[in-house]
Amino acid sequence: MTKTRKLREEPTSLMGRLLRGAYWYGAEWYWTVTGGILLVLIIAITIFAPVISPYDPITTVGGPFERPGGGQVVLLAPKDSGITAVQKGLKVAVFYNTTAAIVAEKYGLTPRPYQVDKDLFAKVRAGEAQAVLIAARDAAQALADHQDFVQVGKPFGPHFLLGTDNLGRDILSRLIWGARAVLAVAILSALFSAAVGVPLGLLSGFFGGWFDRVLSLIMDSVYSFPGLILAIAVAAVLGTGVVNIAIAISVVYIPTYFRMTRSQVLSIKEELYVEAARALGAKQREILGMYIFPNVISTLVVVFSLNVADAILTEAGLAFLGLGLQPPTPDWGFDLNKGKAYLPRGYWWPITFPGMMITLVALGFSLLGEGLGEILNPRLTEE
Amino acid sequence: MTEPLLQVEHLTVTYETRQGPVRAVDDVSFTVYRGEVLGLVGESGCGKSTLGMALLRMVRPPGRISSGRMIFQGRDLMQLSEGEMRKLRGRHISMVFQDPMTSLNPLQRIGDHIVETIRTHEPQVSKKEAWERAAQLIQRLGISPDRLKDYPHQLSGGMRQRIMIGIGLALNADLIIADEPTTSLDVIVEAQFLDLLRELRDEFNLTMILITHNIGVVAELADRVAVMYAGRMAEIGPVHDVFHRTLHPYTRGLLASVPSIRLEDGLELETLSGAPPSLLDPPPGCRFHPRCPQAKPVCAQRVPAWQEIHPGHGTACWLYAEEEA
Repeated sequence: MTKTRKLREEPTSLMGRLLRGAYWYGAEWYWTVTGGILLVLIIAITIFAPVISPYDPITTVGGPFERPGGGQVVLLAPKDSGITAVQKGLKVAVFYNTTAAIVAEKYGLTPRPYQVDKDLFAKVRAGEAQAVLIAARDAAQALADHQDFVQVGKPFGPHFLLGTDNLGRDILSRLIWGARAVLAVAILSALFSAAVGVPLGLLSGFFGGWFDRVLSLIMDSVYSFPGLILAIAVAAVLGTGVVNIAIAISVVYIPTYFRMTRSQVLSIKEELYVEAARALGAKQREILGMYIFPNVISTLVVVFSLNVADAILTEAGLAFLGLGLQPPTPDWGFDLNKGKAYLPRGYWWPITFPGMMITLVALGFSLLGEGLGEILNPRLTEE
Repeated sequence: MTEPLLQVEHLTVTYETRQGPVRAVDDVSFTVYRGEVLGLVGESGCGKSTLGMALLRMVRPPGRISSGRMIFQGRDLMQLSEGEMRKLRGRHISMVFQDPMTSLNPLQRIGDHIVETIRTHEPQVSKKEAWERAAQLIQRLGISPDRLKDYPHQLSGGMRQRIMIGIGLALNADLIIADEPTTSLDVIVEAQFLDLLRELRDEFNLTMILITHNIGVVAELADRVAVMYAGRMAEIGPVHDVFHRTLHPYTRGLLASVPSIRLEDGLELETLSGAPPSLLDPPPGCRFHPRCPQAKPVCAQRVPAWQEIHPGHGTACWLYAEEEA
């Protein structure tokens, strides 16, 4: 006797749909989920920035261009000095303008900065300082070179996972705090452009006539501008600040929303169900609000997420050109811009990590947008 | 059956095209009596659907109702303001469209369609009451009330078409215009739907204009038939009279071209020769004369006048004018 399989109840709750997504929507689903997870992570980062950010993003916490993973220092003292622990007030020889020099003060040591790092041990031997404070990564080599010194205690001091920038600020912290600014600007600008473009597109497509003609002409002329150049012009006029930058970027994308909404309305208003609603006595307002707008939303969501991805790049572009958020606000685009100057000297980390973040967030929004485009179409759920 | 609900007099709908005005409906007059089903038949493009839309004053530009009167319950629809007309749509005159697959908003639940229609016209009805009314209604239409929560794509074509009728019934519309309601349904579902319509007609005393090109549907459901050809009314009469005492040669051709299952071997299915004329440049006189097997010289010269040959059974054809002359 064959077992009769009980038909599974199709889950229609949000969680149910999330879990069964791949079954319904195919491989597209994984991209959407990947994008979604990326974005959830980024948003979590922006919310918890004060908690997870290891350092203050705008103060100097280490030496400039500390390598990723660096930051720890170690105390090396002469074998016969009798120093057994990191004591307060200890005079330490440090290399000028390094993390060691900054850390020394923080731990109550008295730093003696020197311009030449080969001198450090000689100066201790000469009695100008009691010990040497150097980066932990250099300790092994130094001990080998100077057999009369021993390591005192364990390495201590900050730990810069992604290194520091030219001003000794922690790059990881800057990325975490920068996510706030970037997301705020990108999402605000996408909201602004949607808030202007969608209603205009709805009215224009629905009522047509000269209103539509004039508006389409204006929008097309805005559309014909190269995006970044238009944003630069507006940003230059408005000045800086999160809202101003968001407005500057939104101007670029208003025509995208307008044209998309308008074309959707033009096709939807010819649908039979709109005609049917009219034949049943629905008001213009109801037709626009209950029949046309809801059918545009699925496309809107897609355009919105793709637009946010684009806005992030535009924002980075503006910041790169010095028209974005002004320092000291942490901003990926700004860091990218600053970082490029140091790349030729081999400092790859100040430019790589902000660039990666921009790519990741833009990718997250794009994946989500593309995936949603497939999924939000209600007719695709039809068996 | 004797009280006129809608009297259409000399209705003309003109489309302004680049090639010139096209009269899709030309000087059409007829009456719909309360409680009857009037079948409106004709070939594709003869103006049936335009006529249906014109009754709701929903002809879209570049088309417009250029002349005529439509007296509905004592009021001339042509005199109403757009706002009054809107209130009348759905409440008093309702329309069921040809394609049930696309005539429901894909993002609205079935129940919301009905509830919204009820509440648009009767704002004092609460949402809950309206929902209950909708539930009763679709149960009557043979659909489980659970399905009210479904979206249109979850229903079959036949169910959707029943919902469309239900929306029309929800407000007890005085007149339902059904524009080829069964065209997109398969024969079995079509038969069920027609049965349902017949029941509903008796139960709710429906008055309906049934626009179709399917003579069979008319024969099953209609009390009277109006035959249109190239924008003009060719013949109107009770179903039985029109089918058995056919007056107009076009109607005769139309009836002869219906395939019958009893068609004997070797008997060719008759077809009307030629094609319907272009309405841009219709033939002079009777528009049917180029295809009419009984055409006479006068047919090409003057438009035949409307005349009632038997009580309630009239036509516009020169054949009968001569008999009387």
